[in-house]
Amino acid sequence: MTLPTDPHDPGVSLARAALGGDTVAMQDLLAHLAPYVARICGPIALDSGPDAAQEALVAVFRSLRTLREPAALYGWTRAIAVREAVRVARRDARSRPAELADLPAPDDPELAADVRDVLTRLSPEHRAVLVLRDLEGLDEQAASRLLDIPAGTVKSRLHRARESFRKAWSA
Amino acid sequence: MSGDLQGGGWPTAELDDVRRLRVMAAAIPGGRVSERVLPLPLDEVWAVMGDLEDGFGRFQTDMRHVRVVRAEGGRVVAVARSRFGMRARLEGTLRPGWCWLQSRFLILGMAAAPEPGGGTRVAVTGGVRVPARAAIIPLGVRRELDRTLARLADELR
Repeated sequence: MTLPTDPHDPGVSLARAALGGDTVAMQDLLAHLAPYVARICGPIALDSGPDAAQEALVAVFRSLRTLREPAALYGWTRAIAVREAVRVARRDARSRPAELADLPAPDDPELAADVRDVLTRLSPEHRAVLVLRDLEGLDEQAASRLLDIPAGTVKSRLHRARESFRKAWSA
Repeated sequence: MSGDLQGGGWPTAELDDVRRLRVMAAAIPGGRVSERVLPLPLDEVWAVMGDLEDGFGRFQTDMRHVRVVRAEGGRVVAVARSRFGMRARLEGTLRPGWCWLQSRFLILGMAAAPEPGGGTRVAVTGGVRVPARAAIIPLGVRRELDRTLARLADELR
C-alpha cells in the first residue's frame, strides 16, 4: 500500500486539529485510521485482532502529541499497529509457533484452506513480516527497522512464511 | 475468528463502536467509560439513546431540553440546557451506534454494538471539559456515567 504523504490528506489535517484539542476531529481521525489499523492487526493477531486494533489505536491516540510531524502519521501508525498486534498475539498465546512440520500434508483436506488458515500456522512475528512485505509493500530493510530485527531475520522469516503459503496453495 | 476476509483473503479485525468509544476515552485525560449489556436489540436501544430531543434527556438527566438545530450527513448541532440552567451548543456526529458531541465545556460520547452472546453492549463517556481542550475534569465522572447507564436500563425496562 502506498501511504499518503500529502500534508493536505484528511488524516493529516485531522491529526493537526486533534492535537489542538478538538475531540470531534479526534473521533473523525479515529474513524479514518480504524480501518487501516484493523487491516494490519487482523492478519497478525488473528482471533485477537479486535483487541489488538483497539490497543493499537489507544497507543496511537495517547501518544499523538509525540508525533513531531503530522505528515508522518501513517507510517507512525503502521509501526505502532504492527508492534501492538505482535504483542497482543503473543500475550494471548492463541497462535502456534511457525514450524513447517506443523503444516498438513499436501493431501490433507485441511489444505482447502484460505489465507487465514495458513496464517494461523505461523507465529505473530512471521505474520508481521508477511503483512509488512506483502500487504504494505515494505522492503526487507524497512521491515527490519520497523520490527527492530536484523534484515537477515526478516528474509528468513519471509522465506519460511512464503514456503508455508506455497505448500498450502500447491495442495 | 472474528475478522472478515477482504480482498486477497487477508483477514481484517473488526473494531465495533464500543471499542472505538474505549479508544476515545483512553485518549482523553480524565476520560472514563461505563458499559453495560442490555437484553434488547441495537435498534431498540438506539431508538432511545440516539433520540437527542426526547429519549436522550430521559437518561442523561443533566441534559434537559435538547434541541437539534442542524443535522446533515451524520453531523449534528444541538443546543442543550442543563438542569442547572446552563446552555451548551453541542457539535459532533450522530449515527446509529455512535454519538460524539462536544461544546466548549462538555464532552459527551455514547456507543452501542451487538453483544456476541445476545443483547446490546452500551457504553458512555464524557463529562465536564477542560475548556476547549481534549481533557475531562475527573471529578465524580465514573459515578455519574454509571448512573446514566442505570437510568438508561430503567428507561428500557
